[in-house]
Order: sequence, then C-alpha cells, then structure tokens
Amino acid sequence: MIDVNSISHAFARDPREGGGALPVIDDVSLHIERGSFVSLLGPSGCGKTTLLRIMNGLVTPQKGEVQVDSEVVRKPARNRAMVFQEFNLLPWRTAAENIAFALEAQGFGAKARAERIKETLALVGLENFANYYPHQLSGGMKQRVGIARALSVSPDYLFMDEPFGALDPQIREIMQIELLKLLERDNKTVVLVTHSIDEAIFLSDKIVMFSARPGKILTTIDVDLPRPRWQNDEEIKASPAFTRYRQEIWHLLKREVTKSLADSIQAV
Amino acid sequence: MTQLDSTRIAMPGGTRPFASRLLADIWKHHQTLITRLVAVSIVLAFWEWSVESGRVNELFLSSPTTIAARLYQSFADGSIWKHIWASGEVALWSFGLSVGVGVPVGVLMGRVRLVRDTLEPFIIAKYSSPTIAFLPLLIIWFGIGVLSKVVLVFLGGVFVIIINTEAGVSNVDRKLIETARSFTASESQILRKIVLPSSLPFIIAGIRLAVGRILIYVVIAELFASTAGLGYLIFQAGALYDTPMIFVGVVILATVGILMNSFLRLLERKIAPWRFSSRGD
Repeated sequence: MIDVNSISHAFARDPREGGGALPVIDDVSLHIERGSFVSLLGPSGCGKTTLLRIMNGLVTPQKGEVQVDSEVVRKPARNRAMVFQEFNLLPWRTAAENIAFALEAQGFGAKARAERIKETLALVGLENFANYYPHQLSGGMKQRVGIARALSVSPDYLFMDEPFGALDPQIREIMQIELLKLLERDNKTVVLVTHSIDEAIFLSDKIVMFSARPGKILTTIDVDLPRPRWQNDEEIKASPAFTRYRQEIWHLLKREVTKSLADSIQAV
Repeated sequence: MTQLDSTRIAMPGGTRPFASRLLADIWKHHQTLITRLVAVSIVLAFWEWSVESGRVNELFLSSPTTIAARLYQSFADGSIWKHIWASGEVALWSFGLSVGVGVPVGVLMGRVRLVRDTLEPFIIAKYSSPTIAFLPLLIIWFGIGVLSKVVLVFLGGVFVIIINTEAGVSNVDRKLIETARSFTASESQILRKIVLPSSLPFIIAGIRLAVGRILIYVVIAELFASTAGLGYLIFQAGALYDTPMIFVGVVILATVGILMNSFLRLLERKIAPWRFSSRGD
C-alpha cells in the first residue's frame, strides 16, 4: 500500500536559462492498493517520472511525503525495485552478472544469487543468453534483463519508468503481454509511468491522469476489464469497453498535451 | 569456400586460375597488413641501398643490416644488459609510482568535489610547465642517483594518469549510479562495482599515454650524470660518433614502446569490448 501525501516538487533551473525553480509536481495525493497495477499517464514533463522516483526514494520531495506500508520513504529500500526506460544495464557485465549486481547490492550469497539468476532468466525467456553482454542483445532482450533484475530481488513493489518506451511498437505489445503473464504468479504492486494510452488501459487496474506541468492529478480512472488479459489480448483491445476508455482518456489528455506543447514552444 | 566462390562469381569469366583467385582472396582479408609490410620493406630497402651504395655517409646514417648486426652482437656479448637494467629500474619504479599515485588521486578528484577544487590548480600548473625544468631542482634535492631520475620520470608520467582517471570517473553514467542506488547499493559498492569498472578504459588509456612519456623521460633523465642506461648509451655513442650504437638504443626503446602500447591496447579491448562493438549503445 502506497500513500502519496500532498507532494510538491520543483527543479532548480539552469542559471543560464534564467535560474529560479521549475515546479514539476503540484500538490499530488494518491492512494495505491496493495497488489494493484497503477499507471501514471500524462504529457511529457508533467512530473510523473519524478513522482515515481520519489516513491522509490531516489528523490526527496520538497513538500509532502510518501508512505509505503505506513513507513515514510527516505531512500530506496529492498522491497521496491525499479525498471528503467533506458534499461540501465552495466555494459561490462553479462545478462546474468547484471542480475547478480542487484542481488550483490542486497547482500545475497553466491548460492542464492546463482539460483535466482537462473530462475529469473528463465522467467523472461533468456536462459540461453545468460552470458551475453548487453551490446550483444536487442532492445527487447535488454529490457527483459532489466525486468529479470528487478524481479530477482523479490520486491513487493515494482516501479516501471516507461519500460517499453525505447522499444519498437510490435515488441512493445509482446512485452506488455509477457509482463502480465509474469505478474500473474505473485501479487506485486506495480506502478507504471507511460505515455501510451493503450498500454495504460491494457495493463492497469487504475490509471492516474496528470495535467501538463506542473503535474496535478486530473482524474483517476478504474479500468474494469476482465483478467487475465494476456491470453485474449486481441479481443480485449478490440472490445467496445477498451475503445470507450481510450476515447475518454484521450478526450481529457488532448487538452493537456496541447498545453504542454504550447509551453515547450514558448520555452524555445 | 563461400568466400572463394563469391570471389569467382564477382569476376567476369569466372574461370581464372586457382592461384590468382587465392591471391585476390588473401589481399581482400589482409589488405592493411600487406600494405604496411610492403611500405616498411620499401623504406628499409631504400635506406639500405642509400647507405651501402655510398650515397649517404655512414657517419650520419647506418644501414639496417649494420644496425641489426650491432644489435645482435650487443645482446650476444651481454654488454647491452647493463643499460637495459639501469633504464628498466628507473622505468619500472616510476611506472609503479605513477599508477599507484595517479589512479587513486584521479578517482578522488573525480568523486570528491573538495579534492578536485583543491588539487586542480596545482595539476594545471604542473601539467602546463615542462617537467624537464624540474631536473636541476630534483638533483639538488635527491642527488644524482636513481632517486632523482625516478622522481623526474614519475612527474613526467603521473599527471596524464590523474587527468585521464578523473575524466573517466567524472564521466560515469549517472543513470548507472542511480540504478545502483535504486537497488540499495552502498557508496563503496557504487565505487567498486560501477565507478571503477566504468572508468577502467579511461584509466588504461591514461596508462598507455604515461608509458610513452616514461620512456621519453627515462632517456632525458639519463642525459645527466649517468653511468648506464639506454639514454646514457645513446648519448655516449653520439659523442663517439658510433652511429650504429645510437640506433641500437633507439630500436630497443622503440620496441619496448610498441610492445607496451600493443599490450595495453589489447587490454583495453578485453576489458571494454562494448566500446569497440559496432552495435554499441
């Protein structure tokens, strides 16, 4: 269970660009149930990635606090793991060694490491690529390693920062299906930052929609589509309910995207 | 076989004799090596001819064969070893010191802002002034033995390692450090498992540059108040107009330089294969 309590945050602006503070999150409160899949959706620069990093403890908010299981978040913890948009694999380590890194950081012994590496690599279908370096893997495979690395530490909370944003659209759809399949095994709480409306609807129980910068919560939408969704993904995406969600969300989002576009044009 | 076949298909007619196809194939795969060998051979041949034919005075230039004979002789009678050991002692000590001091200082400068801001003016001042100018001072401080030479050569080699290491450490991908943090890595784990491996290619490049400088400064150090060493040998031979011996010293120094350089290049590739991958990212 995650409680975001009145978070506000601003970045220091580069003095060459006039200095001062650039507010990115404005008074955001949010409750996330244990075991649910929640997407943060909004235009670029609306602070959703920053909010995710605050929840994980990588960034300390200027106002407000985040509580995970009723404890205030001050730094990253062992029960929260992160998947990054750019994969962030260590280029000098193989797929297996990259997973080992997360386990080493959390103090797992050699034997436990070997077991978990084998298990999670098999989970993401890369058991034959354990000894490949990141530069030898495709984008989709790299992110599979990124996901395996996050799952290897058995987190209760999985934070995903546009995990499929750097992948081509077809691989992206396959990865979404695989992710749902993976998550079916255990009851993890997932928070996903995404730009993609379809991705948010297909994966989430709840979608939190943000305004243009500084990010405020516009509305929260409960996605009431039957699970498991990975088996009949085509029907679900073609269903009238899915289309209605997409229409509703885009209707709200369009104005914000236009606003953030106008903003960025002014900035230039 | 496919290579040969495709070569033949590419050739009009396709019925050229086997030997000719084989040559074309060898050329295709070893073009660089063959070009280099031919170029070096032509220069050596011209050099040999110009001296042996008497067009160039042997006092000014020795022929490659004369140099080779002298080189062989100096190893055969063992007279060269004294000089190699003398230079080697200075070179190895200063190399060890340069790496042992340069890498930690560079890491500290790259990681700790206070250290960087404190040391930077001194490093810039030293890096911009000619090291050789310190030699008289070093001789006053440390005498004319091995110590003053080691210090001079160390000063000549250490800064390029510091500067490269610092560049490597401060260029570590911040996203990787953040990733490590997100998995609750400690500061010491971040240093050992992210910062050092990621700056290793820079460090090795710095060491490679330092080796070149160390060889130069060993020769310069032996210019003054020496009784042995390859630098001493070269200048002694020069004073005696013993041109082949000058070349013997130069050839040995060049060989050591080339070997060290190739070894460190190989190490760079082994340690950071992703930097040389065409796919990269």
